[in-house]
Amino acid sequence: MLKYILNRLFHSVIVMFVISFIVFFIMFKAGDPVQLLLPPDATQQDVIEMRHALGIDQSFIKQYEAFLKNVAKGNLGTSFVYGQPALDVVFERLPATLELSVLAMIFSIIFGVPLGIIASIKPKAWYSKAIMFLSLSGISVPIFWTGMVLVLVFSVLLGWLPSSGRGEVYLFTSAFTWDGIKHLIMPVLTLSFFQLALILRLTRTGMMEVMMQDYIKLAVAKGVPRRVVVYYHALKNSLIPLITVIGIQFGQLVAFTIVTETIFAWPGTGKLIIDSIQNLDRPIVVAYLLIISFIFVAINFVVDVLYTFVDPRVRV
Amino acid sequence: MKRLSVAVAALALVGTMGVAKTLKVGLASGAYTMDPQAFNETATNSILSNIFDTLVRFDENIQIHPDLAVSWTNPEPKVWIIKLRKGVKFHNGNTFNADDVLFTFDRIKNWKKSGFKGKVSMIEKVEKVDDYTVKFTTKKAFPVFLRKLTYVNMLDKETDSGKSDEWIGLNPVGTGPYKFVLWRKGDQIKFKANPNYWAGKAKFDDLIFRVLSNNATRTAAILSGEVDIINRVPVVDVNRIKSNPNLNTFVKPGLRLIYLQMDQFREKTPYVKSSTGKNPFLDVRVRRALYYGINEDAIIKYIMKGFAAPAAQFHPDVVVGHDPSIKRAKYNPAKAKKLLAQAGYPNGFSVVLDAPNNRYINDAQIAQAVASSLAKIGIKVKVNATPKSSFFPKTGRQDTSFFLIGWASSDGDGSSMLDGVVHSKDDVKGYGRYNNGKYSNADVDRLIEESDANMNPKSRVKEMRDAQQIAIVKDQSIIPLHYQVDIYASSKKIKFIPRTDSRIWAYDIK
Repeated sequence: MLKYILNRLFHSVIVMFVISFIVFFIMFKAGDPVQLLLPPDATQQDVIEMRHALGIDQSFIKQYEAFLKNVAKGNLGTSFVYGQPALDVVFERLPATLELSVLAMIFSIIFGVPLGIIASIKPKAWYSKAIMFLSLSGISVPIFWTGMVLVLVFSVLLGWLPSSGRGEVYLFTSAFTWDGIKHLIMPVLTLSFFQLALILRLTRTGMMEVMMQDYIKLAVAKGVPRRVVVYYHALKNSLIPLITVIGIQFGQLVAFTIVTETIFAWPGTGKLIIDSIQNLDRPIVVAYLLIISFIFVAINFVVDVLYTFVDPRVRV
Repeated sequence: MKRLSVAVAALALVGTMGVAKTLKVGLASGAYTMDPQAFNETATNSILSNIFDTLVRFDENIQIHPDLAVSWTNPEPKVWIIKLRKGVKFHNGNTFNADDVLFTFDRIKNWKKSGFKGKVSMIEKVEKVDDYTVKFTTKKAFPVFLRKLTYVNMLDKETDSGKSDEWIGLNPVGTGPYKFVLWRKGDQIKFKANPNYWAGKAKFDDLIFRVLSNNATRTAAILSGEVDIINRVPVVDVNRIKSNPNLNTFVKPGLRLIYLQMDQFREKTPYVKSSTGKNPFLDVRVRRALYYGINEDAIIKYIMKGFAAPAAQFHPDVVVGHDPSIKRAKYNPAKAKKLLAQAGYPNGFSVVLDAPNNRYINDAQIAQAVASSLAKIGIKVKVNATPKSSFFPKTGRQDTSFFLIGWASSDGDGSSMLDGVVHSKDDVKGYGRYNNGKYSNADVDRLIEESDANMNPKSRVKEMRDAQQIAIVKDQSIIPLHYQVDIYASSKKIKFIPRTDSRIWAYDIK
């Protein structure tokens, strides 16, 4: 196990190293941030001084070398635009994005799995058909539209929920205050629709496949109670693909909350990264992508470990 | 009964006294820093103007008013003596005096990352005469001096000297009507009224700026009453907001001109294909043909939905140097065709038009409309719309033949555009940094340089107008399209005053 962990760790470091190089190179080629940082009345001398102060008057190799040296000291550089350490800027925004993603994932699992099971047991029943129809719309309706309709109905017409922003924050999250929860409801719903539908459909398919297996038939024939058959024998065996997808989807949620964050003016990292790309704020872009790739790597690791618990045949 | 009336009276008291008044503003973009000397950019400047004071301040029509300076004299062309306001305190209780002024100007000058260097570059030295008198000496006679000062926010020497730039970027201490409370990046910035503000406490106890960069989100926030004011009202939502009985809309002409610039220095220009193989833009008749051949009225009507003002010259009318005699000519494709034929291009030519797609209001669509207008006079235009981060470097190295760009005369004075866009490119003297079409006319250069150092407002304006007569009326060095306008919406419960400089100055809002 220890050897496995070390091996994975080594791989992750290489992945992140390669990512940093690629991003650094793309941002180097993308253009000159000083053109955007200085107002039109700046002189050529100001431009030269600013370039020097930001260290972007050096060759690519020199700049990347300086970057690696700083990384070794735990410093990912100072943002060109915000003037603050890049890691601080990203970490300040990360809790808002994680909060949204985690809650959306929990919501999707809590509702997606049971609904999927219900729809799989009696697939021909009217309620199963209704669930499947709703899940189809969850998959096909664009997030942007869902979000705007929620805002229109619950904020503009009814005035029940705030249309945007993050409410009162307590201990890094707004989920502990009433004001915070009110602000969370619509973004979390918007973000979960697609995930919920996906999880629901995967659960249903998985369950229907497993329910046809011989050991299920045997269990039923032996007179094992239906509840035990469904929730113990069948569900457990259909979990592996579900866990894989949930893992991948969680990474997607963290990395692609941008649309939801934009609609609800949610101060997460999605908005930050788009702004930073537009402003050619390289330290922020590099720091953000490194953190996101680290999250992906970590999720994959957790998923692999979870396999061994769900299915003892899997060995890491 | 008596007890009841006492209770009612007590309730009434609570109702009138206890409630703190809050002003909530929804902004299209937020602040990048709380350091007023770091990033010179409208949204950041606008927010920070509520915390910091300057020596002189613009009113809503971009005219100069005393702020921390009570009076000033200009005894010699290069010397300005400024008397400071007495009894002004910073938010932490420190006294404002001449040392703070010196510290402020020193920091901009010496800090390599300051975006405000252009505002102080003409200042040779700043000296303290006494605690409340400061003497400025400029490198040469400098008529725009006071207007430049409106961008220099006064810092507290005791607080900020010796502090890191990161610290100053998070801990603003000024003398303005509002004090800093908190900044949740990307979400909101909260200020509270400064009870000791020298002009009296502001009407609103709390001031909250919320960042609502998505257009539909901003509209939803004002419609649902969550904010009291929004800026940059999306044009498609103006009617929706107007129909709401609780809301007002405001349209304020801005300072930004949108225009076309073209290569006027190369015999062969990289992105033109013409029958002669030459650069057609060298011929003034071709440039004038573009002016007559672009249907600007249609651009304003269909692309800007009426929210723009047609332009015929460099400066809008509030800007010093505007020439009322220059009027926009009528759209005249027949005349344009004739001019092209005279210039030797009866069948037109083809050209690539570079434009940003995320910098100005509807920038890429305007470029498309220009292309379809010019197609009618035989000029085939291919639009190359790119993000500003690649557009500005590309045009900056003149890797373009024809481009759409904008210029805001943010000092309220025409010199910034004349110096930056119209004067021949001259890196040594610091002229023409944005003259990437490299238009060059010695007479215009001379007039601009003279007007830049002319302390007589009347003859100065004459020189600026003369320069413009040559550069626009005679040479058509650029093709002006329109001036942008700012659109705001506010709740009818408050009295909002839109400003030419696009800032939200909460102290004037009642």
